[in-house]
Amino acid sequence: MISFVAFSLRRAWQGFWRNGLMSLAATATVVLMLALLAGLIILLTGLDATLDYVQQEVQVVAYVKDSATAQDISGLEASLQRMPQVTQVNFVSKDQAYRDFLARHPDEADVIESLPTNPLPASLQINLRDPNDYLDVAGYLNGQPAVDRVMNIQQTVDQLVTVIGILRIGGTVILIVVGLIVLFTIVNTIRLAVVARADEIEIMRLVGASDAFIRWPFIFEGAFVGLLGAAITIGLLFLGQGPITSFLSDYFKVLPVEASATVGQNVTLIVLGAGAGIGVLGSYLSVRSYLIR
Amino acid sequence: MAMVSAATPGPKPSQTRRPGERPHDAVSTRVVLAMQGVTKSYPNGRVALRGVDLIVPEGDFVFLVGPSGAGKSTVIKLLIRDEVPTKGVVLLDGRDLARLKRRDVPRIRRKIGIVFQDFKLLPNKTVRDNVAFALEVTGARRRDIDPAVDRVLQVVGLTGQANQLPGQLSGGEQQRTAIARALVHNPRLFIADEPTGNLDPLISWEIIQLLLRINDLGVTVLMATHNAEVVTAVRKRVVALENGRIVRDQTGAAYHRED
Repeated sequence: MISFVAFSLRRAWQGFWRNGLMSLAATATVVLMLALLAGLIILLTGLDATLDYVQQEVQVVAYVKDSATAQDISGLEASLQRMPQVTQVNFVSKDQAYRDFLARHPDEADVIESLPTNPLPASLQINLRDPNDYLDVAGYLNGQPAVDRVMNIQQTVDQLVTVIGILRIGGTVILIVVGLIVLFTIVNTIRLAVVARADEIEIMRLVGASDAFIRWPFIFEGAFVGLLGAAITIGLLFLGQGPITSFLSDYFKVLPVEASATVGQNVTLIVLGAGAGIGVLGSYLSVRSYLIR
Repeated sequence: MAMVSAATPGPKPSQTRRPGERPHDAVSTRVVLAMQGVTKSYPNGRVALRGVDLIVPEGDFVFLVGPSGAGKSTVIKLLIRDEVPTKGVVLLDGRDLARLKRRDVPRIRRKIGIVFQDFKLLPNKTVRDNVAFALEVTGARRRDIDPAVDRVLQVVGLTGQANQLPGQLSGGEQQRTAIARALVHNPRLFIADEPTGNLDPLISWEIIQLLLRINDLGVTVLMATHNAEVVTAVRKRVVALENGRIVRDQTGAAYHRED
């Protein structure tokens, strides 16, 4: 058994080097395809993080009646905190609203300062786990006596949900399509490398080599090509890490900094797994067509 | 391991027949190949063989002749079990090839050594490595490979060229490399499919002489050929196929090309 594995590995190694041009072409194809896949995954991870962030930014704003007491408000705040749909509740007092307004519109300071009283209402800003929960929370707030009115952002929420849904489905579809392209291209390249050695397989069959002796060297070789391609791809990504990270934080401003380590780890694993897996699959399928007669 | 003892100088193995002896008369010899009522039709409707009966005893030398499309290739495909007969039985060394389990097919192929007119050598391996390849891929132990390769290279007379690549060899030397590779398993049956098809007459004669010598060493030989000159001159058993039928089976017959 050990000698069989040693034989297969030795043959795989020889096969790789003796067919240099074919091996080079196959490895280059694997690198290009895996880089494409990795790039797409990184891009989609950024998109996903952005969409998560945008979703969490959906706020229900409820204006509180001036007559509401501090107790009413803190009671309302507490009950909102207990709602599963709610991630965060912020109370903005009348004074705070006044200061925010001044900060946002310094040119119109005269207008508001000329008024006898502060016209701006206090409000509760409620962050939602999922924008689809908007109606639940808005409905609850409308029934509360301390609430004057709830800002209606139903249309905005609906549009946002639609756009985010399309983007997520689109991303998944593109990932599947590119994944299949990567799969077929690598399998096909390895198939070409195996077809180029059909003579060798034929001789092996004629001299009475068992299927295992024919198959395993090619499978190891495919795994080797896949892993080498994956290693080169990861090396390239590592070299390009700086530009990629700055691109991601520039483009998707919201991507959490610590995510890049996790993303890197996931991409590394996916690239290695895809490289080795598709390499093995390609060899297995290609050799199989010669063995089954 | 008949080849091993036979390859070393010494008395010939007892089963070797003297030239001209009719194989059918040799009562004590074992049968290497038996075909009984073999019919082979292909999915496209072509019938390649029709009720072929053929017995080849151990140590025999048989020419398989006939025009293109007569069924020679089909006979060989049945013997190496690339095909199975539609009707009838093919027994190789007593085993019914059609009833072999898939995993036993490689083992039965090791009982056959085969050469073709296009040699089928691996261009990036030396003569020695091409021959050793047949043992390596059948799981032979490494320490057994070198002595076995040396022996067959000696039989075919290529000891001096062992480290050359096929591209550096003449056609005849390439065919002798292929013959060495086919012999290295000590086959029960040596099949030569048009072995001189790519060689000029002088070199062809060398190859025929080598095959005769291998036969003398006790190996049963079946040679499919178009080469009428050789068949007529060598005076061995001739099995002629035509339209998928055996039309003649004679020893020491002449052969005239009809196609």
